[in-house]
Amino acid sequence: MKITKLFQRGEFVITGEVGPIKGAVSRDWRVSPSCAQEAWHLQDFVHAVNVTDNQSAVMRLGSLAASVGLKQRGIEPIFQLTCRDRNRIALQSDLLTAYSLGIDNVLLLTGDHIQLGDHKSAKPVFDLDSVQLIRMAKGLQAGHDITGHDIENPPDMALGAVVNPNFEPLDLQLLKMRKKIDAGAEFFQTQAVYDDRVVDEFVAKTEKFGRPIQLGVVMLKSPQMGAFMNRNVSGISVPRAWIDEIGSVDKADRKKKAAEMMGRFIARHKDKFQGVHIMPLGWTDVVPEILEHAGISVAAAR
Amino acid sequence: MHATIQKPITEILRFIRPGEKVFVVGCNNCAWKCHSGGPDETKAMAERLTRRGVDVVGYTVPGPQGMSLCKLDHTRKVLQQDYAEQTRRADSFLVLGCGQGVHTVIDATDGAMVHPGCDTIFGGETVSESDIQEFCSLCGECVIEYTGGLCPMTLCSKQLLNGPCGGAEKGMCEVDPERPCGWVLIYERLRKLGRLELLDAYQPPKDHAKWSRPRRLEVSPFEATFCSQAGRVTVSNQD
Ligand code: SF4
Ligand code: SF4
Repeated sequence: MKITKLFQRGEFVITGEVGPIKGAVSRDWRVSPSCAQEAWHLQDFVHAVNVTDNQSAVMRLGSLAASVGLKQRGIEPIFQLTCRDRNRIALQSDLLTAYSLGIDNVLLLTGDHIQLGDHKSAKPVFDLDSVQLIRMAKGLQAGHDITGHDIENPPDMALGAVVNPNFEPLDLQLLKMRKKIDAGAEFFQTQAVYDDRVVDEFVAKTEKFGRPIQLGVVMLKSPQMGAFMNRNVSGISVPRAWIDEIGSVDKADRKKKAAEMMGRFIARHKDKFQGVHIMPLGWTDVVPEILEHAGISVAAAR
Repeated sequence: MHATIQKPITEILRFIRPGEKVFVVGCNNCAWKCHSGGPDETKAMAERLTRRGVDVVGYTVPGPQGMSLCKLDHTRKVLQQDYAEQTRRADSFLVLGCGQGVHTVIDATDGAMVHPGCDTIFGGETVSESDIQEFCSLCGECVIEYTGGLCPMTLCSKQLLNGPCGGAEKGMCEVDPERPCGWVLIYERLRKLGRLELLDAYQPPKDHAKWSRPRRLEVSPFEATFCSQAGRVTVSNQD
């Protein structure tokens, strides 16, 4: 199901995220890869699950294969597609393939640079940028490829995009967001945000953009992780207060604390967004607790 | 200019077979500025090779300061006439210049064996005598009118044409925290110039056929023709 239908119905859309495994899926149908197990934990609490595309430029199982795997297991996937490893022929072909295999939602991104990953000598593609990719996907929907040739049975998928509210200067990031909207982006998920002021400035400036936006949150598991993200994860900053608070409890209680902190943050801001995108980084089992702290009824998601 | 850096001497030595007679050629323009193949470095290379037992039959840097090795007619005259005696004895030519210069020596010697003495790294601006920086990637279809003259194909690690990715951190690129995000540079420059509206228009994908290799330029005083996989494009420089 296209998640744009949910936005249209005015529902608060909850999505999660899993990363495909580094390896192939077993031929034994009874053996599920860990990413499918994580998605299973999530499935009763979210509307759909993002499937990342060789996230952080680390080579893994393909996002399309993993998306199809989730779909077959009854979980609604959002297929992430990046410009890093594919030229415009491969991007279009993958979009047609995705639709043909039953995918209803795609998230179209630039992709992390190869230098961030585990194959640093690979040739970066970046034939298109994300705005051009969205426009091309819209073109396929309208029945033609990027060169203008007609295509048979045009695909019809919800086209999502990302935006980073932490970006400085924000106006430059919003300029790109506006271009994505003009190109055909139907919904947005934000990069992980932890800072209330960042949220409020972003909301104030995008209110009139007229597209549903899901607030992106990443589970902060430990103070070390906060410091690591500030050092190594591009475009995300974790305020001191978050790092101190997660550090204030024993290791054994961190999962509970993290869920509580994230829940409180979502509760504070949920009315300003049309949904939330939760990246639990493996701690999928506490997603129900997060939603409870956030005051979002779990039934709302199903 | 074409920025070049000398290959390590150990690598160069591996190119040369026992008993091979080598003639060393430098370049009086770009490689001179890069200290990779000017008169001093070329002479030094001849000596360094000799010291290591290589039979160097001669060396030269064609022309006066500022003369490019890649100017074929001149390089041919120097190698075939001025240095005829030494070059006739040479089994091979070690070229201290860019890849274009290496090919020029092939042409100038009617197909002699050549060795590249340098890695050719980019086309750059000589910012100072000790600093050469890359601002253009020679893409064949210049788009920097709308970016205030700053090239997104070069200054942005992902060559994005419609604005930044989400990865910049405090104005620095996600790929290298020591280097400014090209898009932040573009934005700040246009903001200062009061020309931010230039960024509003959608920029279509590049025509990579114009970036195909090899390309060719046919020139006359009145017009030029750019030949690439995108076809032949002739432009007049008259009215
Ligand atoms: S757009 Fe192309 S030609 Fe223009 S500066 Fe950049 S790389 Fe060079
Ligand atoms: S951080 Fe800036 S320069 Fe680096 S890839 Fe992203 S947009 Fe390009």
